[in-house]
Amino acid sequence: MSDLGQRLKQMQARFEDALAAAQDPKSVDAVRVAFLGRNGEVTKVRRAIGSLAANERPSAGRVINEAVARMEASLDATLRKREGKAFEAALEQSIDVTFPAQHPNVGSLHPIRRVMDDIASYFERHGFAIVLGPEAEPDYYNFDALNIPPDHPAREGFDSFYLSDDMLLRPHTSPMQIRTLEAFAPPVAVIVPGKCYRRDAVDARHSFMFHQVEGLLVGEAIHFGHLKGMLIGMCRELFGVDTDVRFRPSYFPFTEPSAEVDARCPVCQGSGGTCRMCGGAGWIELGGSGMVHPNVLRNLKYDPDVYSGWAFGFGLERIALRRYDIDDIRRFFENDPQFLEQLA
Amino acid sequence: MKVPIGWLREFVDLPVDSQAIADRLAQIGFPVEDITKRPALSGIVIGRIATLERHPNADRLLVASVDVGDGRRLNIATAARNVAVDQTIAVATIGAQLPSITIERRKMRGFESEGMMISADELALPAEWFEDGILQLNGDAHLGEDVVQWLQLCDDVLDVEITANRPDAMSVFGLARELSAAYDTPLRSPAGMEPVAPGGTDPQGVRVTLKSKDCTRFVAQRFSDVRIGTSPLWMRVRLALAGQRPINNIVDISNYVMLEVGQPLHFYDADKITGRHLIARDAQEREPLTTLDGAHYELKPRDLVIADEAGAQGLAGLKGGQKTEVTESTSAIILEAANFNGARVRRMSAALGLRTEASARHEKGLAPILTDFGATRAATLLAAEGATVHPALIFGASIEPLPPIRFPIGEVKRLLGFELEGEKIDAPLEDLGFGVTSKARDRLDVTPPLWRRDVTCAADIVEEIARMTGYDNVPAELPALAPRDISSAEYFVERTASRALQALGYHEIVSYSLHGARVLEKYATAGLTSLPLAEVRNPLSEDQRYLRRTLEPGFLEHFARFREPMKIFEIGHVFDPSGPVDEHAMAGFAFTAAAIDEPPWSDTHFLRLKGDAEAVIAELAGRRPQAQAMQLNGFHPGKTAALLIDERRVAYIGAIDPRLASAYDIDLEVYAGGIELENLPARVAPRFVAPSRFPTTQRDLAFIVPLEVTAAALETDIATAAGPLCKHVHVFDEYRGLQAGPDRKSLAARLTLGRDDGTMTDSQADEVVERVLSALHQKFGATIRR
Repeated sequence: MSDLGQRLKQMQARFEDALAAAQDPKSVDAVRVAFLGRNGEVTKVRRAIGSLAANERPSAGRVINEAVARMEASLDATLRKREGKAFEAALEQSIDVTFPAQHPNVGSLHPIRRVMDDIASYFERHGFAIVLGPEAEPDYYNFDALNIPPDHPAREGFDSFYLSDDMLLRPHTSPMQIRTLEAFAPPVAVIVPGKCYRRDAVDARHSFMFHQVEGLLVGEAIHFGHLKGMLIGMCRELFGVDTDVRFRPSYFPFTEPSAEVDARCPVCQGSGGTCRMCGGAGWIELGGSGMVHPNVLRNLKYDPDVYSGWAFGFGLERIALRRYDIDDIRRFFENDPQFLEQLA
Repeated sequence: MKVPIGWLREFVDLPVDSQAIADRLAQIGFPVEDITKRPALSGIVIGRIATLERHPNADRLLVASVDVGDGRRLNIATAARNVAVDQTIAVATIGAQLPSITIERRKMRGFESEGMMISADELALPAEWFEDGILQLNGDAHLGEDVVQWLQLCDDVLDVEITANRPDAMSVFGLARELSAAYDTPLRSPAGMEPVAPGGTDPQGVRVTLKSKDCTRFVAQRFSDVRIGTSPLWMRVRLALAGQRPINNIVDISNYVMLEVGQPLHFYDADKITGRHLIARDAQEREPLTTLDGAHYELKPRDLVIADEAGAQGLAGLKGGQKTEVTESTSAIILEAANFNGARVRRMSAALGLRTEASARHEKGLAPILTDFGATRAATLLAAEGATVHPALIFGASIEPLPPIRFPIGEVKRLLGFELEGEKIDAPLEDLGFGVTSKARDRLDVTPPLWRRDVTCAADIVEEIARMTGYDNVPAELPALAPRDISSAEYFVERTASRALQALGYHEIVSYSLHGARVLEKYATAGLTSLPLAEVRNPLSEDQRYLRRTLEPGFLEHFARFREPMKIFEIGHVFDPSGPVDEHAMAGFAFTAAAIDEPPWSDTHFLRLKGDAEAVIAELAGRRPQAQAMQLNGFHPGKTAALLIDERRVAYIGAIDPRLASAYDIDLEVYAGGIELENLPARVAPRFVAPSRFPTTQRDLAFIVPLEVTAAALETDIATAAGPLCKHVHVFDEYRGLQAGPDRKSLAARLTLGRDDGTMTDSQADEVVERVLSALHQKFGATIRR
């Protein structure tokens, strides 16, 4: 027994020395393995119990277990201490958080798409489908079906690129009013974003290619108040919740009554003067709108006494110019990387 | 249209503030594009030169005593040459305010001048349109009268936009009528303007024959004892403010009446009309005509002319002819106030490339009653010029009232969304000249005035009521919708593609769908033939002639311009020239990058491009496509692939043909791809396969195979041979060269093996590998590279 006690004592001394020498959590773990592991020193001492007399064995076992418990406690305490030291060192580190970030290589969306998607989301939320259509369209869809027969004075406003006698690049997105109403009987609610083309000389405010978004709502009991409600909501979403919207009488062959829609200039708030954004007008012209002309409904075999509806067509560049404070429409098509990245 | 506010005030009382008038006009549908501000002018009165003498001390100066009424005389020195005793002139008195100066008492070479005689320039009128020197009032004014007030020189000029449906408002009086209704104030008609009394006869007048149905009404009237001269100043000033240059009293009256009433007029020298007979007819083939401006035309039957018995004397509604022109020696004239078919005038105008103030009005379809208004108004003005007026003769259709329109009052609520009743409906309509009678409690019969032929249905009447009530007063509300279920899929495919490409680091561009021959030249420089393109018939410039067939030319232009390595994408339509055009939606993407030094059988950039394409397609279709080598115009013959889903091509990718990149002067490698959005299958939801709970084991094997065996084929064959124990095969390396042998290459593949029901043992894995080796040996003679 005393022999065993001696061995235990010596082992404990070695243990204390090893533990004192272990300066980091990993070394503490190595000490645990060396003494308490499957083939560790404690196991060797335990084996010696077998050589003791039967009556001595229980107390010897107890002594060893007590020693193991002390060693484990000691290991745990040391480990906590060593870990604490390691964390202290880690926690002492300090960096300059204002250092420039390392940016991931993400791309960008064109500002026209951003505006298009924002408008689409607004209308989608209100139950409108978003449909697309062809850019090359026959006369019929561009004009005739829209109550603009040949020789109609309004055709003058649509100076178009012709591909054949009766095929042209659409000068507006309105052909999709007809295609939609051909495919679906009212109630229909769609918006149509897309490219349009007109033979306009290119300058800071005009482009021969541009984007429009068309809106069409036809059903029973659809009225001008609904047009105002939806478009005011759209303008407030695009330009801010306080935006004033103005409707002025106008003329389009495919709507009656017709209205031009203006939004209060978001920069000068209508005070005008020398405002660069609105050119002093105080208002930004968004585009045309109105109640679908009874002749258009009649052309599509819908009874204009039963169905009514409204439509609008707005220029997306015009909205984007204002929204991003861009000085020249040509920038949208020059795609200068600096332009794209700024507006990403 | 330029509208002097002073002219409007002759017919309707208006607020002082020009902006207020402009705002009101905009509210009723006539936006004012610009307001020309007139300068502040004052202290200018009418005077008569009583005496005129040489300045005692200066040869170049004259000294006048000017009678300014009430016995007052002003001594004024002037350097002007065009002054004479008894002339009526405008005089700026001491203290008068002119655009750039205030008149003060001052000495001119020892002579104290008490004012200044006025020229057009000093009234801020275009000097080149008026006489040199002192403005001549031609005796038509009261001495001492304030010139600024009399000529309304301080009233601003509005530039008003008139929509195509409102030719009735293309006149000062037409707009005055609208304003009178808008302000609910009385309207005063121009002096003498009224319907022509039918039944007039004039033995010495002209006979008019209407041989074309496109001339519906022709009022002809003779005036004798005409003296050609300068118009009265008030008329010249109004014309000038309206942007019309004064010419002589006859031309001025025709312009004045057109601007005021809206009816274009033409005057013929009565003595030059052959046979005293005017005929409205189609021109003969190659019939010659020289117009007032000296231009020669060879006409066609498409052109409508007014002819006499000798031939065409004018283009109907466009311009008069030189042969019957009114000149200094003219003493009798024939007035033409005619109504023409608007579409006919437009076609002529377009075909002849000739557009005039008259045609701008005629082509919108004028109301026949305007012929009467124009003739009677002109007669009044000619009489004031001393001409003898003969009865007006009417040829063609008589004036018929427009048919009444049934107007259910409920249309207001149905189309505007709010109720209006009784007076609120009747009053604005009546102010605009509509006849309103109530036939039933819920219905009106509304008769448009003769000049409002644009109003033909109930919706038109609703607009009249709405614009007079004010669009601002229509309450806004959101509709309650339950519309048909219409797919937005096309849009969302584009939206998803844009977001996926953005996430992969591509920047979106929008390039023009139209391009010029430059693209063809670049392909030619590269030694490539370009495919036929859809063409625009009437481009505005040569760089708009062709419709793009692919998106790559836009990418190449972009890379040529912005020269650093970059990744861009574009979503848009491309066009094939079939019947006459076939249009497809594409999502194209491209990048430039520095070349990588690697063996000729590998191209890391291509694999990146392919990875991007697969990622976008997976996002859109929920599946990965198969690649297959292909040839594509403008692409590298050995580095281009079609990407297929279910055997259908959904995209192409590849390296741009280096010769083409070089033609664009791009010194980086260019890679491009295009996803054919319409060919994509609908997105399918992928099925989840639970991973095995047991570990897998991997075997890397390098096969020596014939050159034509592709990585994809090898993967497929390995997977087939290995059977269900093979979870995944992935070719990760290729080698060609001596060690592989001629016509052969080495492909290294990693097999991931495992079982679902237990851990795979080494011997089981070896068994699978053996199976694979023997199968591939049989198929390609493949051997293992040791």
